[in-house]
Amino acid sequence: MPESNAEKSILQELWDNMFAKSWPMWVGGILLAVGNICLFIVLKPWGASGGILNWGQNIFNSLGIISFGSEESPLPGTGAHPYSVLCFLMLLGSFAAALMSKEFALRFAPAGEIIKGLIGGLLMGVGAIIGKSCTIGGFFSGFPALSLGAVIFTIGLAIGVWFALRYLLWEMEKFPNISMGKTATFCSAGTKGKSIQPWLGVILLIVAVVIAANYSGGGNKVLASYVLISLFFGFVCQRSRFCLVRALREPFMTGESAPAIGVMAGILVGMFGFAVIKYMNVGTPTEMIWVWPHFWLPAIIGGVIFGLGMTVAGGCTVGSIWRAGEGHIKLWASIIGMVIAMPITAKFIAPPFYEALPASMKSQAYLPQMVGSYPGAVAIFLVIILLWYVFVKWNERTGRFSAI
Amino acid sequence: MPIQADEVLDCKGLSCPMPILKLAKAMKTLEVGKVLELLSTDPGSKGDVPAWCSKTGQELLGIEEEEGVYKIFVKRLK
Repeated sequence: MPESNAEKSILQELWDNMFAKSWPMWVGGILLAVGNICLFIVLKPWGASGGILNWGQNIFNSLGIISFGSEESPLPGTGAHPYSVLCFLMLLGSFAAALMSKEFALRFAPAGEIIKGLIGGLLMGVGAIIGKSCTIGGFFSGFPALSLGAVIFTIGLAIGVWFALRYLLWEMEKFPNISMGKTATFCSAGTKGKSIQPWLGVILLIVAVVIAANYSGGGNKVLASYVLISLFFGFVCQRSRFCLVRALREPFMTGESAPAIGVMAGILVGMFGFAVIKYMNVGTPTEMIWVWPHFWLPAIIGGVIFGLGMTVAGGCTVGSIWRAGEGHIKLWASIIGMVIAMPITAKFIAPPFYEALPASMKSQAYLPQMVGSYPGAVAIFLVIILLWYVFVKWNERTGRFSAI
Repeated sequence: MPIQADEVLDCKGLSCPMPILKLAKAMKTLEVGKVLELLSTDPGSKGDVPAWCSKTGQELLGIEEEEGVYKIFVKRLK
């Protein structure tokens, strides 16, 4: 029911501002960057593919198909691995946010779409392991970590996105039946009367706080912090519909620049925080954290494969997690694809691939070391982001690279 | 008064970017002045379709919600 603000209580107005409408993506970007800086202070920056890899390794171990870990270095259980916990709590956070905004529903896509989700997830699983990162570790956290490999990985992502978008347009023309067929939606909030969804969302938040208290009571402050920050990540992603696929895809599709600018805002805020943490050597981290040894060949190959996968699936690792929390079955299939492909790639494909590469093609390219100063490295990243900004804005005005 | 649509585009169950891709395709064959009703279950469509309309100069007539389905009415202006 539309009501004027004068008739609403102050708390009702606050609730509606939080949950009646999605937040702008740049608000999400900045909030996620603040969370990312906090996470780095606690232990390490934000990443997602490491958590899904750990899920997969534990599942393969428990099924007894392939075994991971050894006697000297046993595989951490999902409850003891910070990024496993992170992925699970992101799912919980987005689920809670979707419930609180009455946007949760189990949405069964046509079979063709669910298969696309699975294939996209499989490709992302391969790309994330070959490229040693996903859109977060190799882009949203990788730029702030001042890693030149992240720039290469991101160029790879954009190339993959471009080709996969051509594929989607071709598929719609030639095989429109893939995205048609039987669909079903369950458990939606409905529009008549009161819904219990917001209450369930609040209960989930309380459950997450109990999980954090449990870790904290056991003396594990790091995991307790990870639980709460990851819950925040999932919550913010759902409310702002934070999407790295859209940031890279829209310039080639609708021409919209807002998603890219949302990501830039997050990268800028994150970069200043990360630069200070690394420069001052705050906490336990070293300078080389989140500077992956993937410069340059694994970064470009992994980036292209990941970019193809995330565009076909309609969400990167984080995008799949928060949309799965909102109830999209296609993105559940994407997570299953990653869970299958990541451990297999890590065990059988990545080791011989890296073995065969000369050291010059798999180095850690840390820009402050390469240019000799932190301000110099930050300045170079600012120029890269400015060029990116000019491109997406110019393209939005001219539609030069936009397909629709 | 309910909005009358000339054509219906069923995107139920689909997630981003399929509804927008299908909308763009359907608008090419819709006559100027006619109204398309897009059915979507993706909450993203509530923001994506208005953004696409203002970008491409089509008119968004309204968004209705019924039992988890968003009905988005778009009029082709050019």
